[in-house]
Amino acid sequence: MRSLPLLLTTVLLCGRLAAFGALDRGQPPGVPTSADGARHAGGAPPADGSLARAVAVDQQRLREVPGDAAGWARLGGEYVEQARLTADPSYYPKADEALHRSLTLTPEDNVDALTGLGALANARHLFAEAGEFARQALAASPLHWPAYAVLADARTQLGDDAGATDAVQHLLDLRPGTASFTRAAYDLEQHGRTDDARAALRQALDGAYDPADQAFCRYQIAELDRNAGRTADALTGYRKALATDPGYTAALAGQARAEAALGRTDDALRDYADAVGRVPLPQYLLELGELQESLGHPDRAREQYRLLRAEQDLAAANGVVDDLTAGQFQADHGDPAEAVRLLRAEWGRRRNVLVADALAWALHRSGADGEAIGFAEQAAAHGWDDNALFLYHRGEIERALGRSGEARTHLAKALATDPAFNPLQARAARASLTALGG
Amino acid sequence: MNVTRRPARTSSAARSAAVLTTMSLALASSALLGAGAGVSTASSHREAPLIAADPQVDNTDVYAFTSPDKQDTVTLVANWLPFQEPNGGPNFYPWADGAHYDINIDSQGTGRPDLTYRWTFHTEDQRGTNTFLYNNGVVNNLTDKTLLFRQYYTLQEIREGCDPVTLVEHGTAAPSDTGRASMPNYAGLRQQATVQLPGGGQTVATQAADPFFLDLRVFDLLYGGNLSEVGQNTLAGYNVNTLSIQVPKSRLALKGDPKRNPVIGVWSSTEKRTLKLSPGKADPVGKYVQVSRLGNPLVNEVVVPAGLKDAFNALPPSEDHNQPALVAKVLDPEVPKLVQAIYGLPAPATPRTDLQEIFLTGIAKATGGPFQVDLNSQLLNKDVNPKRFVPAEELRLNMSTPVTADPDRLGVLDGDFQGFPNGRRLGDDVVDIALQVMEGATPGHFIAALAAGDKVNTADKPFGASFPYVATPYAKAVNQPN
Repeated sequence: MRSLPLLLTTVLLCGRLAAFGALDRGQPPGVPTSADGARHAGGAPPADGSLARAVAVDQQRLREVPGDAAGWARLGGEYVEQARLTADPSYYPKADEALHRSLTLTPEDNVDALTGLGALANARHLFAEAGEFARQALAASPLHWPAYAVLADARTQLGDDAGATDAVQHLLDLRPGTASFTRAAYDLEQHGRTDDARAALRQALDGAYDPADQAFCRYQIAELDRNAGRTADALTGYRKALATDPGYTAALAGQARAEAALGRTDDALRDYADAVGRVPLPQYLLELGELQESLGHPDRAREQYRLLRAEQDLAAANGVVDDLTAGQFQADHGDPAEAVRLLRAEWGRRRNVLVADALAWALHRSGADGEAIGFAEQAAAHGWDDNALFLYHRGEIERALGRSGEARTHLAKALATDPAFNPLQARAARASLTALGG
Repeated sequence: MNVTRRPARTSSAARSAAVLTTMSLALASSALLGAGAGVSTASSHREAPLIAADPQVDNTDVYAFTSPDKQDTVTLVANWLPFQEPNGGPNFYPWADGAHYDINIDSQGTGRPDLTYRWTFHTEDQRGTNTFLYNNGVVNNLTDKTLLFRQYYTLQEIREGCDPVTLVEHGTAAPSDTGRASMPNYAGLRQQATVQLPGGGQTVATQAADPFFLDLRVFDLLYGGNLSEVGQNTLAGYNVNTLSIQVPKSRLALKGDPKRNPVIGVWSSTEKRTLKLSPGKADPVGKYVQVSRLGNPLVNEVVVPAGLKDAFNALPPSEDHNQPALVAKVLDPEVPKLVQAIYGLPAPATPRTDLQEIFLTGIAKATGGPFQVDLNSQLLNKDVNPKRFVPAEELRLNMSTPVTADPDRLGVLDGDFQGFPNGRRLGDDVVDIALQVMEGATPGHFIAALAAGDKVNTADKPFGASFPYVATPYAKAVNQPN
């Protein structure tokens, strides 16, 4: 069908069409160099890339034609995407407003706006709400595959394991492609089927057209490699992802993690600094802080943690509820009791294995190992048995409970899976294993 | 978008272009959504793309016409991957490996393909790690070592109830044109890539100048935007990927008899292979899933309601009549109502059985529709079982209609019965025709207010006089100063 994908439209609007206005004023239009490179024309970072231009174009258009419901839905979706690429949560309220304007103009069966609101809710970690929007979209249009992607993401985060798999399979059956294969890969990874996950990502990569999507696939493959201790392969993969899309900050941070694991500390610090400078994600700040701590620079680490707290406050002010990250941070670098409080709240909202693991660890850090072990077991319930962090947490809890044999098994498996899973905790895992005589 | 502001003219041209706007509503891009959290750990919330552009499998247009220079044959053309910017290299626009690129023929009116021509590509990439360029020197021949990225295809003929027949085992796709310096004679490469078929006919997979033409600025004018001027072909300068096949009419007609059974329905579709999660199974290979489909131009954009577009792309035409929302929209379309509300042009009375006849049944007295003429419904085929006939959205071609020596861009509406909606020739002005038809025009009776249409009446590059007819690709960047 002759629909115009965003990046192509952008070329068109920003190039060809902008020219009509520009011609009269005798100014050359700013033009991306190619359709497939439009999102990051000329290797520019996404913040200055075609998405930003598409937003500008849509804003201008909607000023002239404020009754265009489809345009508002599109702009709302673009804002959610902007937030993802820039880690700037101030886009969320804008997305919210645009999507609701679309819904006001077309209240009935506005599938794109409902799906956009679902994506926004997922981004804000309002996973139950996201699932509800997805269901509304599907009620109006049962074959609207993007709604299944939103639903799959929501159920995954809510810990509805069977439901998530079911939604991903629906998505796969409706629309084989990047959106479905990448989600299939995550589903497989969480069930410990790493090889199948890698195959799914290769299928996603083979079919990905946009460099940003290709970079995402390459990055995820590299993540699988790194989590399996194949750090050199991972480093190559992160580099390929960056070569595909120089604006993909996640790959830069991944490169830094791999360099840190390989002992190339200076390179790692440089790349982390670069990544954090571009996109101050709490995850990057936490990793950089832990690396600096492991290098004996507690002051520099504390500075990263301070920035991390500020980022989290900013996110919360924009409607993001992320007690998981906050709880993980508090457990290791702050107040374990506060971590338990935050993560109990998160567990009340969603029964995801990542929350189970984080809550188990927070309970352990606050001395409640008897309760912790149950959550550590729940984290492994769906078969994610090659997750080094889960294994390490479980091993330490078992060690605290005096279950030496199990502790040895899990600590050893954590280190066998990825000997450098974390700059501080891999070291601790080795020490514990030694203490256990393993 | 920047549109020069001038005092609005209330000419028919302005008005008709404004009306076009409403028609092109759905041409606007779908929202691109991200599912990720901007502020979160990647490990706690995977950020997967939500709407990844997949233009490689996106059908844009299908054409079907009696070959003007070989009138015992029909030429079928289907295009994918629009808006290819020719930058004089290094841009390359490959076919998707392993996808099924199909052109389907329904000669019985069941909405199911009696015959499918299926192209499946595979890639040979010899670039290694040293270069990202697709050629490292001048390419004069498809076999030149300087061409580092090649795509090959198999072409199968699939008939219902028979084993697939391989027509082309190892065809070579003409590459994307990387510019005059690299490929000084693209027409020669295309010629080399053209394969003669067993039993007559020929086929080619090639890049081409997009033959579709319209003025896309209509987007800007929706809901009272101000139209200042029209007449600029927004697609000029962009290329597409084209599959074209020319076959004897007897290959397409029901029972091989184009005299008794001259009408065929045509649509293109694309399938991609999915995977099965099915825990415990070692081989997660899934089935092929249809992700795109196209028959008549502009139907999915203009007629199909927003909530049904995905379904339309996913379903075969045989299911169309089971989609009440789709049929309802054909009978009671949105566009004329919008046009009436905004521009005061009265919408034709509903139900629009005329549209149903044009898009879903083909035009024939036997359909019971309003047109008292026998033109292009499969019901005209003598060997069709009318009980099995169902309304289905297809581009219908009567292969017995004589070739018009001097084609009229408005086709049937202007008395040229060899033009759209009786098949579709490359030069048929489907935007203007669809606009007239939506607003209730019938052959010989135009809607005067819309007479000028979008004022883009031809494609920029002339079509060829022989197969594959589509123009060679543009080789100059669209946005380059001339």
